[in-house]
Amino acid sequence: MLNRRHLHALAGAYALDALDGAERDRFERHLRRCPACEREVRGFAATAAALAMAAAAEPPPRLRDRVLAATAVTRQSPPDVARRGAARAATRPGVTRSPWVPRVALAVGGAGLAAAAALGVVQVATQHQLDSALARNQEIATVLAAPDARIAAAPTSVGGTTVVVVSRAEQKLVFTSAGLPALPPEKVYELWLLGPGTARPAGLLPPPSGGKTAPVLASGVLADDKVGVTVEPVGGTSSPTTTPIVVMTLPA
Amino acid sequence: MGPFRSASDPAERSDSELDKLLMLVARGDREAFEGVYDRLAGPVYGLIRKVLRDPAQSEEVAQEVLLEVWRTASRFDPGRGSAAAWALTIAHRRAIDRVRSETAAAERELRSASAQVAIDEVAESVEASLEAERVRRCLEGLTELQRESITLAYYGGYSYPQVAALLDTALGTIKTRIRDGLTRLRDCLGVSW
Repeated sequence: MLNRRHLHALAGAYALDALDGAERDRFERHLRRCPACEREVRGFAATAAALAMAAAAEPPPRLRDRVLAATAVTRQSPPDVARRGAARAATRPGVTRSPWVPRVALAVGGAGLAAAAALGVVQVATQHQLDSALARNQEIATVLAAPDARIAAAPTSVGGTTVVVVSRAEQKLVFTSAGLPALPPEKVYELWLLGPGTARPAGLLPPPSGGKTAPVLASGVLADDKVGVTVEPVGGTSSPTTTPIVVMTLPA
Repeated sequence: MGPFRSASDPAERSDSELDKLLMLVARGDREAFEGVYDRLAGPVYGLIRKVLRDPAQSEEVAQEVLLEVWRTASRFDPGRGSAAAWALTIAHRRAIDRVRSETAAAERELRSASAQVAIDEVAESVEASLEAERVRRCLEGLTELQRESITLAYYGGYSYPQVAALLDTALGTIKTRIRDGLTRLRDCLGVSW
């Protein structure tokens, strides 16, 4: 009894994330069986949200670009069907949790891993397989979420816009486009990394859908590289055969 | 800085607007997400920055959090609180994760030496927005121990045993002061949940 009263009293500290490991786990177990506590925690969380609102500060504008760009290549988690169902109470502790029953921080070390977790590695860990498409998406997401990611956009000579997000630390870039003219079936847009006096093929743009091309990831980006796009025969070529429709200088 | 800067009435309205936007986001609506971003980025970034202090690290964590909002929007359940509370819970938790991670531990030690600063800064940082003004007034209505416990735990990112040590007060006392203080704050703010 005394024990339970002790647990009740932790609702405030819990709502402020002020409990450590074991105590938090204990309180969360208790929460699942205590609707009154859950209600109280919910009210406290709303109160804490007001404290957060009062601390609002203008983030750097580049954050918006980056986050919005990343949504294009970040798969969303499916709804938690089990949690919404009636069988909710039967779920194993620690597996399915509501947002109010927070998950213990993943025991990851660096910021990079934390970013990867935020971008979907967590989700993958619960899947049986990691297919290559998803892996590629994650690689793209990693570039977009890189702390040093920079974005640049440029119009092309044939219309439309190309967008590049580059991470110097990762030596990778993600390339997308919007509004490029459709090509005849025997032609393709090819992406190039243009160094001083060299042009390295960096992939073919997939056919546009809805006017946009899906993101293409290019690795091995060097300090002096620019990015260019040419129109080439289907299958691509090993060096450009036409004048680039765009050449972009990468942001530092 | 957007709709959260409004008085209680419009704030509530924009709150439910945010709920609706977030439900659209759950279905993959990126335009709706822009609206969510514009309403939440300020509080998310501000809160994280308050806890972490370091602007670069704060930006990084804010980015993770805002993407997590995009990614897990389908987990938001309007029956269990507002979208703002849901997102800010994530934001605070991620900031705390960072604070309690090993890499931050050393820096943490240094900071605990200047805990008093944390308390003073809270009052000072509260901007001249109506919402902030309301929160400030309600914070002032708490006892000193309640206020210090809550601000050190929430804005300072300290666990309640750390708060107890900083304020040189018994663990059980801090625990109850946090709870009583939050109850009073909740009632003063007229928070609906």
